Amino acid sequence: MNLYQPHLVRIEEVIDETVDTRTLKLVFESEALRESFNFKAGQFAEYSVFGAGECTFCIASPPTRRGYVECSFKAVGKVTAAMRELGVGDVMGLRGPYGNAFPLERLEGRNVVFIAGGIGLAPVRCVIWNVLDLRDRFRDVTIVYGARSVGDLVYKRELAEWAARKDVKLWQAVDPGGQTPEWKGEVGFVPAIVEKAAPSSRDAFAVVCGPPIMIKFTLPVLKKLGFAEENIYTTLENRMKCGIGKCGRCNIGPVYVCKDGPVFTAVEVAALPPEF
Amino acid sequence: MTAHHLSRKELASWVADLRGRGLRVVGPVEEPSRGGAAAYREVSSADELALGGGLPARSLKEQFLPPTEVLFGFRRSRDGVELIDTPPRALATVLLGVRPCDAAAPELLDRVMGWDYRDEPWFARREATTVVALACPGVDESCFCTAVGLGPDDSRGADLVLTPVKGGYHVDVVTPKGEALVAASSARFAAPKHAEAAAEFHRAAREKVERNVPRVGEGMAAWLAGNFEHEVFSRLALRCHGCGACAAVCPTCHCFDIVDEPEGLFGGVRRRNWDTCQTAVFTLHGSGHNPRPEQNSRFRQRVMHKFSIFPRRFGETLCTGCGRCARACPGGVDLPEIVRDLEELVG
Repeated sequence: MNLYQPHLVRIEEVIDETVDTRTLKLVFESEALRESFNFKAGQFAEYSVFGAGECTFCIASPPTRRGYVECSFKAVGKVTAAMRELGVGDVMGLRGPYGNAFPLERLEGRNVVFIAGGIGLAPVRCVIWNVLDLRDRFRDVTIVYGARSVGDLVYKRELAEWAARKDVKLWQAVDPGGQTPEWKGEVGFVPAIVEKAAPSSRDAFAVVCGPPIMIKFTLPVLKKLGFAEENIYTTLENRMKCGIGKCGRCNIGPVYVCKDGPVFTAVEVAALPPEF
Repeated sequence: MTAHHLSRKELASWVADLRGRGLRVVGPVEEPSRGGAAAYREVSSADELALGGGLPARSLKEQFLPPTEVLFGFRRSRDGVELIDTPPRALATVLLGVRPCDAAAPELLDRVMGWDYRDEPWFARREATTVVALACPGVDESCFCTAVGLGPDDSRGADLVLTPVKGGYHVDVVTPKGEALVAASSARFAAPKHAEAAAEFHRAAREKVERNVPRVGEGMAAWLAGNFEHEVFSRLALRCHGCGACAAVCPTCHCFDIVDEPEGLFGGVRRRNWDTCQTAVFTLHGSGHNPRPEQNSRFRQRVMHKFSIFPRRFGETLCTGCGRCARACPGGVDLPEIVRDLEELVG
């Protein structure tokens, strides 16, 4: 078996999240794979445009919805620029799933607090839907999501859906200056909104993802709220190529993000050298 | 361990035998413009082998992990994409005259290449290869194989070890694969004549290397892990240009990139190419954030990976002490010297 040869997937839907962020819904060309492709929330894949190359993203759709995967991306480099040129019906490559996952079994029967910033909602969204698709296994669900501006909020239709649900507490925020006159959500940085939302840490786990600076300032808030570091999960997004622990790129200290991660507890992250 | 004698004349016949049996023979080949052996290349006769003198400038690594390699091909059409298998080239090969510091390296890399996911091209070539090592006749001041637990006479990774003796080579059989190679040309091999001379050669070579750098102690991996932000790294990195020559010539540096190469309008191949952690783009995120923004952090990564990360993960140092990085560095970064400095800090 050739480890580096991807599965073929066809773009079934293109959703523009913001002016620069797009979601692709990818359906396996092989009918057998549509049935058999399994993954866990938090795992990632190598997506490719033939002729442009490969790129690493989390799988943004939940494993509870089968037959397809979704990824969300910004056009910032060669491969993502090529992805931006593709449309419905075009064929891409997908290798994976790779890496570890969020321990959903640990979260069962507990309260779950999701905190995300910007495009960092993509991996968290996968877990959110996984939890919501199995809603009765979990207790309170709180989501704090912030973006730079109203225009930068991703998954807007889903935010509206979560906002309307009685079994989800959603806090939406934009950075100061990012609001529009119609904006009804919070204005402030994510750590401040978490402090304001003040989710209880009792029997609770937190799943945090966003820019490094957001994570840095959110962790102390969570600690103040009483969250133990081993109950806070995040996912690291290092540059990767192979995804399977060979190419050496995602290595931070003793850790290979692609094999030991991408999901880590705050305890594990604190033990890493400051190089991520 | 059985031993034999192989005269210089019989060596030439043996190479002809091997080739006659359809095996590729690859060994150190001289390139006069470089003033020594340049690389391990396929030879058509023993005359082409450069078995004396210094280390080949390039390591053995490319025999198993080529600088560039096609992983598969693809062709786009109106209604989709077709993937084209390109099985790895893994021809039955005898690597002849391999220095012990090169012979030991692939075994270390097997750990990474076989870690959960088995890298087929790598293992296909590993399995198709028999390694005939050569006890090192070219020890110089950059050599430090003994510091990392190997030696100029080490048999690690070798199936046979040749040692230069009067009139030819003393041959030590290391593995059944080596024994089989000898058995297939048994007429070429005589009873061992110079076992003592070979032992003396080993002792002398070992003594020469041991003078260069003391043995890396067990405390090194832990010390490095605990001193990630030690000022020594910024000091040591001042001479580093970030060119990556060290990684290119290194027998154990194995980082690679995966890139697409279009061919015509509709087709192309996906390749893996050697890469190095010494460039800024190696870790650069799409957002512009770079976890290793300065040369000293990249330089530190190279030292860390070899002497701390790999040992803590796999229990062995990811360096065979060949000293090529020191010889190749345009800025004069000298790994043997660095190992000496670090050993002093570790205390």
